[in-house]
Amino acid sequence: MGVFKIFAEPVFWIIMGLLYALIGYGATLWAKDLGLKMTWWKWILFWIWFLILSLSIAGGFTLIGENEMEAGLYFLGVSLFICIVLGVILWRILTVGRNIKNSPLD
Amino acid sequence: MGNKKNRVSRREFVKLSGIVGAFLGLGGAAGAGYFSGKSKDSYTGWGKNAYGENQFFNRKPFRVKTPTYEKVGDTRRIQYLEDIFKRNGELYRLMFPRKGEKPKWSLSQGVDDLPEPLRSYYKNHPGTLEEFKKAIKKSRIQRKNWKKYKDKYLLAYAWSAAHSSPLRGKAAFPAEPEGPPEKSDFKGITTKPYKLKSPSHGSKLMKQITHTFGATLVGITKVKSDWVYQGHLRGVGKTKFKKPAHWKYAIVVAIPHEWDSLYANPVYGTSYDAYSMLNFIAGKLEVFLKHIGYSARSHVPPTDYDLAMPPLAIDAGLGEQGRNGILITPELGANARLAAVTTDMPLEPDKPIDIGVKEFCEKCKICAEECPSGAISFEDKPPDVVRGYRRWKINQDKCFTVWNTVATSHPRGCRVCLAVCPYSRKNNWIHRAAKEIDPYDPTGTFSSAMLAMQKGFFDYPGAEAYLPPPDGSNETYGEAPDWLKTEEWFDL
Repeated sequence: MGVFKIFAEPVFWIIMGLLYALIGYGATLWAKDLGLKMTWWKWILFWIWFLILSLSIAGGFTLIGENEMEAGLYFLGVSLFICIVLGVILWRILTVGRNIKNSPLD
Repeated sequence: MGNKKNRVSRREFVKLSGIVGAFLGLGGAAGAGYFSGKSKDSYTGWGKNAYGENQFFNRKPFRVKTPTYEKVGDTRRIQYLEDIFKRNGELYRLMFPRKGEKPKWSLSQGVDDLPEPLRSYYKNHPGTLEEFKKAIKKSRIQRKNWKKYKDKYLLAYAWSAAHSSPLRGKAAFPAEPEGPPEKSDFKGITTKPYKLKSPSHGSKLMKQITHTFGATLVGITKVKSDWVYQGHLRGVGKTKFKKPAHWKYAIVVAIPHEWDSLYANPVYGTSYDAYSMLNFIAGKLEVFLKHIGYSARSHVPPTDYDLAMPPLAIDAGLGEQGRNGILITPELGANARLAAVTTDMPLEPDKPIDIGVKEFCEKCKICAEECPSGAISFEDKPPDVVRGYRRWKINQDKCFTVWNTVATSHPRGCRVCLAVCPYSRKNNWIHRAAKEIDPYDPTGTFSSAMLAMQKGFFDYPGAEAYLPPPDGSNETYGEAPDWLKTEEWFDL
């Protein structure tokens, strides 16, 4: 297992927690600069989508770790496709009533 | 102006960090997932601790009053000849008698030349004697072929032999009962029975003790007469008997095979790893019970049973019977081997559970598709009524023929149906989530989605591939672990 043992260490999950805090803070700045009118339920939708994306990647790599390479790649392919579709739907929801002034995308 | 520029750059820095963090977070999820898949800690059983934590599934919401096997008519006990091992044992004794005696039957003879009750059994089950003859012929070819395969499968052979060695000979443990159960089950009791505070105390204590002996799953049930073999009793021999009065309760034990070798069946696995452990667990339990004053009799594999194990384990709430005729448990899937100890110690029985195994097996059929012998039914619903109970019945004789065919030194079993069962997966987060969520979905939609992924994403060799050439190519379901590959360790 060697280097992969790091993933069983508490310090790995502490670092993951810090990364998620950074993602959250960065996301609030991105939302402001993109002119998104974020509400609590829109944030929940965003985090659910990010969780699904994370679990899809983790799931695919879990199967690869089990020596089920083919199943892992299929799983990644299908679940990432679903994540992209959900991501597009989410973007449409988040951009409803968007203030496009100052948005770097417009 | 300069300050404003600095503020903007800090903001941009945090935004960029958020993006980088997101990628690192997703990378972390990939790494953690890979580790979870690789980790041997997700294999349930084999003594990770002695406190029963491997029995992690919460059975409480799934307890039912009546077991999931369907009673459809008058029931009866199992005639000992209905067990293939007992039946074959009788035939072997006729074909290969002790020194000084002459064979009383040979493969060139027919059913009419057999003594009773074998003659009646085979007349009532047409085709089964022919299947036995086929199995014996296959076993001769198997022995001849072994020279070709010995180098490749030497470690698997040695590993199996090591596990089976404690079960053989006079020093085997637990000792075979001698005399009627009213005597033999009480032999070795060292004290008067200690009075329990309550049957519930008895059950809790016995479960904890059984876990310390190495049991992965433990359940307790009353002993139903229907599960007691008829016509043969260990310690007595051939006899008609009633269920002994002191066989009140059974403590039922399940443990898995070592997982990597299980997935590498049929040629790398063995049944004896689990069997030898079960003998030790049940044997120790028998001694323990006798030292606190209660009768005890072990019922252990490979063939030292006076009771049928799967229905007993279903009654004890360990799991349900699958299409492959094997107990399927929430923790171990079909990778669950069974033993029991019958006792008169007052115990509180567990309740059976319904986690939807039958409904899942109705639509899955992977075990039937992968079975190299074609012994498992493809019928959607269980078509057979066996001694008054409706279930899928496996063709024991065809199954045994494949044991005699695969590339092993002797008929050492197959176990492909245990390995390919979707319930027999590692208990890492993804499979465990599926196992934990599925029973809560009464519509079956979740299990259908999981099954679609199982069939669409995972590769199965196909039934014939497990056979030796020319019919197959000695395929295994999963890759053999390094420690069973001779070529990894020796110059061949």
